[in-house]
Formats: sequence, structure tokens, C-alpha cells
Amino acid sequence: MGNKAISVVITIFLLVSCSPSSRLEGYVYYRLNANPTTLDPALITDVSGASIAAKLFNGLVRLNAGLEIVSDIAEKWEMSKDGLRYRFYLKKGVSFINGRKVKSQDFKYSFERVLNLKTKSPNTWVFDKVEGAKEFQKGTAHEVKGFKVIDGYTFEIRLKRPFSPFLSMLTMTPAYVIPKEDIDKSTGPFILKKWLHNRELILERNENYFGDKAKIKGIVYKIIPEDLTAVTEFELGNIDVISLPASAYSKFRKDEKWNKLIISMEGLNTYYLGMNSSRPPFDNATLRRAVSYAIDRKKILKTFYENRGRPAQGPVPDLLRKWKIEDNDREGSEYDPLKAKAIINREGLSGIKVKMYVTADQDVVDLAEIIQSYLSSAGIAVDIKQLEWSAYKEALNKGEADMFWLSWWADYPDPENFLFPLFHSSNFGPAGNRTRYANKKADSLIEQGQYALNEKDRNGFYKKAEEIIIKESPWVSFWHRTDFLVIRPRIKGYRVYPIYTMDKGMDVRIER
Amino acid sequence: MSLAGERAHPEIIENIKKEMGIDKGFIRQYAGYLKLLLQGNFGTSYYTNRDVLKDITAKFPNTIVLAFAAMLIAVPAGTALGFMAAYRKDGFIDKCVNAVSLAGLSIPVFWSAIMIMLLLSLKLKLFPPSGTGDARFLVLPALVLSIPAAATLARITRITVLDILRMPYINTAKAKGLSSLNISAVHVLKNAIIPIVTIIGLDFGSYLNGAVVTETIFGWDGLGRFTMDGIIKRDYPVILGCVITGTVVFVLVNLITDIAYHFLDPRIRLDAGKN
Repeated sequence: MGNKAISVVITIFLLVSCSPSSRLEGYVYYRLNANPTTLDPALITDVSGASIAAKLFNGLVRLNAGLEIVSDIAEKWEMSKDGLRYRFYLKKGVSFINGRKVKSQDFKYSFERVLNLKTKSPNTWVFDKVEGAKEFQKGTAHEVKGFKVIDGYTFEIRLKRPFSPFLSMLTMTPAYVIPKEDIDKSTGPFILKKWLHNRELILERNENYFGDKAKIKGIVYKIIPEDLTAVTEFELGNIDVISLPASAYSKFRKDEKWNKLIISMEGLNTYYLGMNSSRPPFDNATLRRAVSYAIDRKKILKTFYENRGRPAQGPVPDLLRKWKIEDNDREGSEYDPLKAKAIINREGLSGIKVKMYVTADQDVVDLAEIIQSYLSSAGIAVDIKQLEWSAYKEALNKGEADMFWLSWWADYPDPENFLFPLFHSSNFGPAGNRTRYANKKADSLIEQGQYALNEKDRNGFYKKAEEIIIKESPWVSFWHRTDFLVIRPRIKGYRVYPIYTMDKGMDVRIER
Repeated sequence: MSLAGERAHPEIIENIKKEMGIDKGFIRQYAGYLKLLLQGNFGTSYYTNRDVLKDITAKFPNTIVLAFAAMLIAVPAGTALGFMAAYRKDGFIDKCVNAVSLAGLSIPVFWSAIMIMLLLSLKLKLFPPSGTGDARFLVLPALVLSIPAAATLARITRITVLDILRMPYINTAKAKGLSSLNISAVHVLKNAIIPIVTIIGLDFGSYLNGAVVTETIFGWDGLGRFTMDGIIKRDYPVILGCVITGTVVFVLVNLITDIAYHFLDPRIRLDAGKN
């Protein structure tokens, strides 16, 4: 009897197993680590949502691989000499997937929808420099004066004041066009076919796309929260491209089979140790500078971080910095523990106690302990406080931490995005300046950079602003993270971009 | 704050506060929630704006399927091991069962989940490592989930059966010349069933609340993962909805267990005293 039972169990086992998971022919399989919150371009703030929306929608302009602004639905555009008016000439053959042609009225509708407080968009700031935006939000105007329909295919945007990064902000998710009659009808190279929440999304090639058509039939996004599970799915061939989690990095690097299939992507981001510059002890710029001498960032990057990044010279990522930093105190960015100790002693601050806030991720906690040990040899006692992510963000926004570990990722590829939100004194707290750093000279240089229309002038202002910030060190800038992806050999042409909204899924193809 | 986004317009934040009733006092907020609850309204998620009850009813069947499948493995395996150990007390089998069940109880689920995935999925390629769907996807999470339940069952069954084997009525049955199969099936099993059913009820009830770790690792779209997402994002309507559903389900399963006693053991019947 026992044998019978066992054989029955084995039969059932074999019946259920073995059948390989079915794949859609001609589709590429990607992994998402979370269910996108929404795919409404006006409301998206998460990476999952934005990277999918990029394949479904189009805006006036987009970024090419060289981070230059190129034509999307707008065929060409011109900016007035005073930098206040942008006029866009739209391509004529662009339709929504319901067949209707895209006209300038649609851009007016889509952009006003973002500003409309009823939409509850978290992204109103993208358009808040447009003329008449405030009046429209207050309800004193029924339309935004600065979004002007000249004719069906000519659209003009007027700004309150010149703002040089504006065009690059138009490459962002909230600036995509949607039709008034049905906001789910997109224009992009792919169409959303199916969305099984928490399981998968299926995108299908848009055969009527106005540009070059995608080379694949579609994309399947598998939602897999756990990194290790995703790696297993990749190894089994159920997923074609995967971003390597830190835990799997060295395993894949050492594996002959995978090593040559790893590609890297230098991200537009900066990881930093922030110091609360608005209150003692870190309102003292000399002390902050001493902290940056005290930590051997290059060594941490090489050992602990397994070289998964490039050392940061300052807050602006090297990909965006078109200038050379001149630091009179050249060794300032270098590790110099004796100098650090000397400064701290001279300031009479040896033995002070500070609180460092970190998230409860094990990687971050390990790093915090390394920083703690460096600072303790320099004479600063660090008390590490771990918080869950939301509580952590809230504490930082309120300025509770003396020190904290955080990163900033570009919304749009302009140095301004790494200077204005993070260091301008009008942006304390959630807007980005969590160190509460305030310097009138830096403020004014950042603003001048925003006004300057000539790129050379702009970079001149940014350079000076960044030099002041490096000298005063509200941040110890650690590194710009590089992401590593592995791609299955049958997938060809896959490209990685520094900003996740840049990949419209046009390059990738499947080898037969 | 994170609801509206980091750089949200202050007026949007005000509107959201008003809409959610955060501007009102705590008691009024609580009363408001209870009122909605009685109307069968669990509210909408802060993040996705989807109806919480709808999401729960969509995910609950998956959790039920997983819980049943886990029990389907755990109950026969656990009781069989328990019986075998009891009948071979202090023998080799008993010692093996003891060791295995101790391991089953002490190995954390996240570890056994990963090991089982690496073995059955990556090495032997028998089952897909993750996903929600037909029986193929069900096997791994159910197997992982069944381990601690089977271990508890084996231990409880062993002790109960040992106690029963010492009872005078077993000797009587033996003296009457009943076959050992008859004794095991009729006299032992019948008397051992109450503690076994209690354990099954408790485990089943807790599995119906969602198995957070197992569901997350295997990407099973159940209540546990939904709850966890809610907790991480501080999506309070989702957390509340899940907790309330979980409570109701747990109470119901226990009620059903209690009713089952009535049928399984005449001594527990409510009207037993009247005879």
C-alpha cells in the first residue's frame, strides 16, 4: 500500500511539473520589482510607472542617447531671444491609438490637466514657471495663459521668467500628451494590452506608430518583488534582462558564461552623506569640511561597494558636468585623517556626539558603521539611528538628523536639477534641500544659471555655485552609482540609458 | 506627505487632508471609519485609488488556494509521521521524525523557501520559481508553507497517540482480539483527532491571513503580499482592510473548528449533559 501511495504522489508531482512556462513568441521579458502605482502620466512618480509610460506615450521633445533634446511629436521648435516663449511645430501624422490626430489643443489640455489641482498631480512643479499657472490654480483664470494654441499644429508656451532647463523638463513623464476623450489612449511605440496587478503587464507593438516601429512584437513585464527570485527567473530564461542586485553581482562577474553579457550604465545620481547645516554642530562649515577629510570614500567605493560606481567630485554627476572643478584646497576631496583630526581639535569639537539617520536596509547600515568608525578616529562619536523609509523621510524633511545617508537621481539631465532643489535656500525639506544649507552667493549663482540662456554662461554660474558648495561641504559626495545589467544572449541591441524615461523600447530585438 | 509627492502643491496637500478627514478630530475620524465599515466600505488605497475591498476579494481566493494546498500536504504528511513515530517510540523512525520535525519548526521560512527554489526550480527545473497561476506555480509556495505546519502536526500527533496507546481501552481492544489496523483507525485515530483538528484550524486560520514571506518570495499574488505592500507604503486603508479581513477569517475558522469538535467527539456536544 505504501508503494502505491508513493507512486501516486510521484505521478501527481510529475504531471504538475516539467511543462515549461509558456512564453509569448517575439516578446521581450523584463522584471519590475513593484507594481506600478499608476500609468497616468500626470500622476506618475515611481520608476516602474515612468519606465513603462515612456513606451506608451510621447511628449513634444525627448532625449537621445547623448542626453541631447531631440524631436518627438514636435518636429522643430524655436525659443524667443528673451527666453520667454517656446514655439513648437507639431508633426502632422501623429495619431492617438483611437485614430484621432494629435493637435496642439491636446497638449494644452494635457498640460493644464497636470496643473489643475483637481487632478492631484504631484508634478505641478514641472509647469509652475509657465505664465498664468498660479492664476489657473487659484481659479481666477479658466485656462493657463501661457499655453497658447496658435493653430492646430503650432503650440506655444510662455514662461513668467526665463528658465533655461525648461526644455529638458519637457522630456519628463508629466509632459506627455493624452487625448481628452479617453486618457488611456496613448500615442507611443507600444500599447498597453493587459495589466494584471501585482503579476504582469503586457505591452504590444503599436503598428500605427508615427516613428520607426519597434523591432519586437511586445514587452512583458513580470512583477517580482524579491531580488533572488528574479535572478532565478533570469537564470531559467524566463526573464531576458535583469538589473543585478548587489547580492548577485560578484557571482555573475565571476561566472564565465555571464561575465561577458554584463553591461553597465552610469547613472545620473549622487550618493551623499548630508549634514544639517542649519544648527550646531554642523552649521560650522569648517567642521563639515573636516568630515569630508575624515572618510576614505575611494577605499569604501573600491572595497565595500565593489566598484559599482565612480567617485564623486561634487554633487553634480560627472556626466552632466561640463566644467572642471577648481578647488583651491585641492586635497579637500582626498582622504586626510590627520588634517581632519587637527581641524576638529582646533575647533575644540573633539569628542562631540552626533546622530546619524539611516534607513533600515542592511547595505546602508553596514556603510553607516564604516562611516562611524572613520569619524570616531577623527574624534566625532556617531550614534546611528535606523528608521523605516517613510519615517526616515519624514525625519529628514523636518531636519531632525545631524547626518544622514541619501541619494538624488536626476529628473531631467541638467546640472540645475542637482543644484537648485538640493542647495537653494528656498527648497528646505521635502523639496530636496534636506541639509538646510543656505548661502546667498550660491543661491544667486544658481538663479543666474536658471536665467542664463547661453549654455556657456550657464555652466559658468553652475561651476561657481558648485565650487562654493564643495568648499562649504553640506554634503560629502560619495559616488555616482553605476548599475549593472545582464542580458540573455538572444537579446540584441539592448541599450541602457542614464534616465529610465529615455528607453522607448526601440533598440531591442530578438535573435532567431 | 509622500501621498501627494515630495514636491506637491500646498493646496493639493490641503485638499487631500480635507478629503481624508485628517483635519477633523481623532474620535470623529474613527467614527467616520466605523460608519463606512458597517456599510461594507473599506475605503480606497491612498496610492492606487483602488477600492480596498475589491482588491482584497481579488486576492483572497489566491490565499485560500495556497492555504488549502499547504494543508493538503501538511495534514497527511504530519499525521502520518506522528503515527509512525508513536508506534515506533524510541526506535530509529521515532528519532528521525523527531529530528525532522524539530528542523521543520526551527528553519525560518525565508531560508527554506530559497533552498527549495534553488533546488526544485533552478537545479531540477521542475517548477517555475515565481508567479501566480495554475498548479505548477502553487507547488513551491505550498510546500514551503506546509513544512512548519507538518512539523507541528507530527509532534502533536505523536504525543497524543502515545497517550492514547497507554489507555486501558486500547488494552481492552487488544484483548478482544481486534486487528491492529482496526485499533489504529477506530480507537486511536478517533481519540487523537481533537488536538490534530485544533492545530489544523489554528494553522489554516493563520495561513488565510496571508503568508507574507512565502508570497513575496514566490511572487504569489495573495493577501500577505498585499498587506506587506500596504505596510511598507503606510497605506492605512489597505492595512486596516487586511487586518479586519484577517480577524474575521480567523474567528470564522476557529468557529468552524469548534463546530467540527461537535461532530468528531460526542463528549464535547453541547447537549451532552441532557442525556
